[in-house]
Amino acid sequence: MHIGPLIRAMGRNRTRFALIILEIALTLAIVTNCLNIILDQRKGMQKRSGFDDDNLMFVTAAPFGTEWKDPSFVENTVHADLRALQALPGVKNAAATYFLPWQGGGSSGTYRTDGFNGKFQAQVYPTTAGIFDTLGVHIVAGRGFVPADTPADPKTSTRVTVISSGLAKKLWGNANPLGKVISSGEGKNPRTVIGVIGEFYNPSAWPIGDFALFTPGRAWDSSGTSYLLRTAPGAKKAVLGELENGLLKVNPNRVLKTFIVSEVKDSFFSTSRIAIDGMTGLIIALIVITALGIVGVTAMSVAERTKQIGTRRALGATRGDILRYFLAENWIATTLGLLLGVAGAYGLNLFLLSRVSDVKLPWQLVAAGMLLLWINGLLSTIPPALRATMVPPSTATRSV
Amino acid sequence: MLSYYVQTALRSLRRTPILTAVLIGAIALGICISTTFIALRHVFERDPLPGKSQSLFYVRLDNWDAARAYVAEDPKSLPPQITYKDMRALMRSTIPVRQTGTFVSRMFVFPQSAKVRPFREPIRLVFSDFFPMFDIPFQYGSGWDKAADAKPEQLIVIDAAMNQKLFGGGNSVGKTVRIADRNFKVGGVISPDWRPSYRYYDVVQGPVPAESIFMPFNLTPVMQIQTSGNSDGWKDYGNTPEDFLNSEQTWIQFWVQLPDGAKVQAYRDYAANYVQDEKKHGRFQRPLHVEINSMPELLEAFGFVPKTVKVMSLVSLLFLVVCSLNLVGLLLGKFLARVPEVSVRRALGASKVQVFWQHVVECEVIGIIGGALGMLLSVAMLSVIAKVLQQGNGNSVTGVSLDLEMVAVSIFLSLVAGLMAGVYPAWRICSVPPAMQLKLQ
Repeated sequence: MHIGPLIRAMGRNRTRFALIILEIALTLAIVTNCLNIILDQRKGMQKRSGFDDDNLMFVTAAPFGTEWKDPSFVENTVHADLRALQALPGVKNAAATYFLPWQGGGSSGTYRTDGFNGKFQAQVYPTTAGIFDTLGVHIVAGRGFVPADTPADPKTSTRVTVISSGLAKKLWGNANPLGKVISSGEGKNPRTVIGVIGEFYNPSAWPIGDFALFTPGRAWDSSGTSYLLRTAPGAKKAVLGELENGLLKVNPNRVLKTFIVSEVKDSFFSTSRIAIDGMTGLIIALIVITALGIVGVTAMSVAERTKQIGTRRALGATRGDILRYFLAENWIATTLGLLLGVAGAYGLNLFLLSRVSDVKLPWQLVAAGMLLLWINGLLSTIPPALRATMVPPSTATRSV
Repeated sequence: MLSYYVQTALRSLRRTPILTAVLIGAIALGICISTTFIALRHVFERDPLPGKSQSLFYVRLDNWDAARAYVAEDPKSLPPQITYKDMRALMRSTIPVRQTGTFVSRMFVFPQSAKVRPFREPIRLVFSDFFPMFDIPFQYGSGWDKAADAKPEQLIVIDAAMNQKLFGGGNSVGKTVRIADRNFKVGGVISPDWRPSYRYYDVVQGPVPAESIFMPFNLTPVMQIQTSGNSDGWKDYGNTPEDFLNSEQTWIQFWVQLPDGAKVQAYRDYAANYVQDEKKHGRFQRPLHVEINSMPELLEAFGFVPKTVKVMSLVSLLFLVVCSLNLVGLLLGKFLARVPEVSVRRALGASKVQVFWQHVVECEVIGIIGGALGMLLSVAMLSVIAKVLQQGNGNSVTGVSLDLEMVAVSIFLSLVAGLMAGVYPAWRICSVPPAMQLKLQ
């Protein structure tokens, strides 16, 4: 095929091709940046908590009777509650804790330890003994809590802690964390590390999602507590039906609210999901629009050149020649558009980086976007180009 | 003349129904997507108190650990709230025309009707100035006065929904309700028209719907009310409620109303002097850092707009540009196919300008029809988004919909899109010389 006449013919239709080139360039810029953000959001959503999220639920219990002013009454009720919860069919384990997953926050404090320069911040949660089995996390070193870690006298508590492996790594690298001592930022309340749990992630307002300290303690006071439960697979519904009644039987003077962790997680990610759905829709719409544009412009150029096509056919060009001609023409336009689009993609990414976003555009994504639009361009040229091949050679001999 | 152009345009559009559908569909899609995401951003970004917000200022002080900034990695960071003792000290200033410290607690409400079980409710503790400062409209009664602040009186202000829940609506001023272990008299019922998208007076907990009950702040030490919001600290303190009030824990949001620039400067000096004084007593060991931000500055700084929403609103505008570019190509083809017809009109005396306007009007008709369709679609999309946002705990913005401002933006965008698509093809068609076309016929 002769490329020279093809280019000259394109030069005569500059506007039309300029439009296509600009459109493809913008499309590539938008598609790659949207894909980039989708991938980034998905990465956040796929971050594992390390817990058995699908089988977890929690109940918050807020008491309003006057008897709740008495700390020993509260303590006895909590233990009775835990026994009642553990007795429910379908419940694997339960714990009273201030740690509730996927709420988008929690409690934190500043601490120090030997071997780590300065202070550090970590999430901190007092909890009863059953917490790790309830969460379904593995203890990778040392042990979890036992009831003896929470002595009867509320003024004392065993000075121990179980930490996340992320925190252990941050503080001491690969050294054995067991037996190390962590104290408050001012050097008070030292606690010895007795155990390390494998995986832990809970998003926080600070970048401390992987760092947690659990302490054996009373996760309750006169204003109430919350219970975390793990159910057997498939038992969620049955447990939900019995849960609140079981607790109200222990003591009716409180308001209970039950949350299913997978739903809490969904609601935590609702803005991410809107973003992902929105951007996916945008990408699809954009590709359809661009394809329509290419179809439209090619169809028009075929219609305009019916006579020339007929002449070429009469002079011996095959149908394949005609098809190849239009495909080549659009291939050139698409490729030019994509080249311009690479610059546009990085330009838009730079603009977004400076204003709103913090994800760099990887080149693989740009390459994938180019491939996608390239195929899109080729496919949308085929239908009008096929119509061009149908032009009979006799058209050349007919006058207008 | 315009109505003639519109009629011609409609006739021309009817002649090519498929092309017209594609053109209108492209504009509708572009407008739908851009309007949806701009409106979503607008929900987070719009000024909650137009005309007023510039005079409301939020105060932050850096009372954090000398060894470590509030956000360890950022030495310029400071806690988003202030301590109880600093609020007390700052409130001694007479520079602000109004001022209020505020925080949210959760307390039990015991309705008088036996049918409603007691429930735990977020309750906001405020000073009397809160209501006039934030322009809160009343349906019945009003907020309380300085005397009620000072005493403090057991008064509450409730919103219309809470009034419905507790008393079945109507003028409930003077009725009582038990909250925690005390009886409270209703002093005012907030108008049902007050429906902010989020608590613009509380930037710390993120965009969350407003509370339904407001209570005098000074009951805090009396009733030992605890915050249920964020409380950040770096220094150990004792176990009693008094220890907490005297601690370095930051948990109070503090607002002042300053009418003009001179007062703002005076207040900045006052706050800086206060911190310098406290430094002499061993507090505020970090470099002097006082932030006094107007409400718009604060909303900007605290970044309520999720970054994905910002990106989407930008990208959706580019999307509209692509849609318009598409139309340029299609319209060019359509118009140029009409060259013979136009040349006859030109030869019969239609001027270049007239031909130009006739075609621009045709494009604008497409823009308006497509835009109207797109706007309808975006109303539907926004209601879906609102549903998704309200799922779960309902802890998100409310009022995700098109307001008048956004309808205007949407119409404007439709017109611009129509113009962008139409100007070049219209210019091409009107600059065809008539004589040559006649010859070709």
